[in-house]
Amino acid sequence: MALLRTENVTKAFGALTAVNGVSLEVEAGSLHSIIGPNGAGKTTLFNLFTGQLTPTSGRIVFDGRDITGTPSHRVAHLGIARSFQRTNVFPALSLLDNVWIAAFARRGSWRGFAWRRADRYPEVTERALAALRDVGLQDRANQLAREISHGEQRQLELAIALAAAPRLLLLDEPAAGLSPDETQRMVALVRGLKGRYTIVLIEHKMDIIMGVSDRVSVMHFGSLIAEGTPAEIQRNADVRRAYLGGVVVE
Amino acid sequence: MSRAWLAVFAAVILLPLAVRHALASEIWIFAIFGLGLNLLLGYTGLLSFGQSTFFGSAGYVSGYLLKHYGINVFAALGIGVLVGAVSAALVGYLCVQRSGLYFIMLTFALNQMFYFIAYQWTTVTGGEDGMPGIGRPVLLGVDFRQPLAYYIFVALLFLVSLWVMKRIVESPLGKILQAIRENEVRAQAVGYDGARLKLLAFVIGGAFSGLAGVLYAMLFGIVPLEAIGFVFSGNVVFATLIGGSGSLYGPIIGSFVFIWLSESVSVVWARWPLLLGVAFVIVVIFFRGGCVEAWARFWSWRERRRMATRLAS
Amino acid sequence: MLYALMGLGLSLITGILNIPNFAHGALFALGAYFLASTLHVVGNFWLALVLAPVGVAVLGLAIEYAGIRPLYRAGHDYQLLFTFGLSLILSEGIIVVWGPIGFSQLPPPILRGGLDLGFTFYPKYRLFVMVMAGLLVLGTWLFLEKTRYGAIMRAGIEDKEMVSLLGIDIHRLFTAAFALGAYLAGIAGALTAPIRGLSPGMGVDMLGIAFVVVALGGLGNLLGAIAAGLLIGVAQSIVALYWTEASVAVIFAVMAAVLLVRPQGLFGIR
Repeated sequence: MALLRTENVTKAFGALTAVNGVSLEVEAGSLHSIIGPNGAGKTTLFNLFTGQLTPTSGRIVFDGRDITGTPSHRVAHLGIARSFQRTNVFPALSLLDNVWIAAFARRGSWRGFAWRRADRYPEVTERALAALRDVGLQDRANQLAREISHGEQRQLELAIALAAAPRLLLLDEPAAGLSPDETQRMVALVRGLKGRYTIVLIEHKMDIIMGVSDRVSVMHFGSLIAEGTPAEIQRNADVRRAYLGGVVVE
Repeated sequence: MSRAWLAVFAAVILLPLAVRHALASEIWIFAIFGLGLNLLLGYTGLLSFGQSTFFGSAGYVSGYLLKHYGINVFAALGIGVLVGAVSAALVGYLCVQRSGLYFIMLTFALNQMFYFIAYQWTTVTGGEDGMPGIGRPVLLGVDFRQPLAYYIFVALLFLVSLWVMKRIVESPLGKILQAIRENEVRAQAVGYDGARLKLLAFVIGGAFSGLAGVLYAMLFGIVPLEAIGFVFSGNVVFATLIGGSGSLYGPIIGSFVFIWLSESVSVVWARWPLLLGVAFVIVVIFFRGGCVEAWARFWSWRERRRMATRLAS
Repeated sequence: MLYALMGLGLSLITGILNIPNFAHGALFALGAYFLASTLHVVGNFWLALVLAPVGVAVLGLAIEYAGIRPLYRAGHDYQLLFTFGLSLILSEGIIVVWGPIGFSQLPPPILRGGLDLGFTFYPKYRLFVMVMAGLLVLGTWLFLEKTRYGAIMRAGIEDKEMVSLLGIDIHRLFTAAFALGAYLAGIAGALTAPIRGLSPGMGVDMLGIAFVVVALGGLGNLLGAIAAGLLIGVAQSIVALYWTEASVAVIFAVMAAVLLVRPQGLFGIR
């Protein structure tokens, strides 16, 4: 059953069509990658999913419900969490607070949220610590987000999304700006998340997604030009053309 | 943590021995005002330049009721807080939808609107002359017209306010507001309605301002027009900054500094606001974290020097 | 018309430097006071009218260079706070130099008295101010629209990064914009002096109105600021005919109402 489905989604900014009639399906429990050269419209697509942008036309259906145009602060409550391509954390807050906030938002009831001491919500703190543990940052919980390295911030970026205990995880280039070593670790991290979450991954480096994806969709200039298993995509001539100069694994 | 509370308690007890009671009361009243603003400025990152709107409105309404209807003290306080909160809700609703620049300009412009209304509605507010004749009712046999009695009353209310604010900033809301300040886009993505929560912060800040406004009116027996004016809004911003907007206790220190400055210099030179402006500029250029940060910096500098000498020997 | 002038200047500064200039009102007041003093020294109204705003512009230059620019890295909030502190310094400074009591300033002899417009007597000086302010607005508008430097300024409002990428010194642009805005405020003040007299508080009142004009016209929208300024000026005059006391408060109420419906102002794009 498709957890997430888009029906002919289009987003136009005046004369520029960033996303052009994209229809795809993401199976529950799978890891579905969206790849394409820079500027293909992948992040815009994510922005449409998470309500930062509203589609010009088309529908977005999540778990059978039409969520097109839901504002971004409500999307989180539907069970969709997202990490950003450019690190988007809370710099002056501790790592623990960074994830705590995400975890708290998803708490069923906010009763007493302006009054009770924050440490009186043990389940939230536990979930926050678990998220940090998932990415390997639990030892740095009390450090401020702006004090840690870029690579660690990318991990934090991921942890914030995990802390919301989502059903759908949208990861936008989690390995952006990471060294080869850090990239390997990030890939391993993501692989470890498979099965626990339905994941949609954006990447523009082919080699990263090959080993982890169940399915791959390829975007180019806003349109979907190919879709299939990693192996099929590798052999696809259109994809090779779109990636002129890109990394293609023979 | 409790060291700070000890310091506060000590200050509350010792202050009336050092300065005259009315001045001491004024300091705590201003501190309450500053606490309200700092929830917006320090925690949520909203530079609201119109807090005197709520301060003055509460002062006028409660003052009017005290003067003409002789309501009791607690009713006056309650109404003041309510007026502060409601006016903040109205103003806030218009302002939080806009960000950054617009927000600041709007808080200022709406403040000016209230100012002009107060200026013109002379039958109620007294216009330029202010609203005089506000009494301090007797409660449970305690005559608040005694400066010391009123001081104790104000100091107690201040302690309560401080405690309330402490609870708020240590609650999830405190963290959420800071998250909004740090990265509103991400806070929204994580599931928080930025506009609604900013409005909530606004209303809380307004409630505190309202409380301060009523106490101020009762302290001086008059609501001057300035209490709802631009300069007053600026004063509380100044006090909060100079104390340090990054800490809960910053506004308290700022209140001390500001009131002391204004009291001592104004007798010497009527043009003391000029010095205030200069001090403001100096703080902005050199001491952005205010006294609290300067203190922290000084402390860590000392630590480093001690480390260095220890290593050297 | 004067409101349009003030609004234009403030909108320019706000649009380019991205800070609401709290000192704008004080610059307005200084324009008036500079006029009075220069007039005292040179004896010729017209000469004073030319020199006074230039003085304010020079001051604006100094302010930007010495105060605002160093705070660029600290962020907009601090630059804004600086202008606030500055407004205090300037307002009080006026009192220090010129005394706390306001005084009046007569217009030059040829502009005294009224003009018989048939249906009413209209003060000659006010007519002059209207025309003069209109010319200034037009002149500034043409400068911004037609000249290369004006185009740079307008581009600066839209996209600062692009402008600096094009090799233009963004800091000099800021300074120039501030100086121009200060000039407009200064000449507005100088022109106002004979109408309403001078008082140290004249700056603060004007500041509020200028903010309203900019808020209504849309931040950085120069044409909008002009239009809003005219609109407000007209609205105030009309209200003043029927309900004099409320005329100023009405301006703010109108602004609040408009913003409720259209948060981006009447002409704002966002």
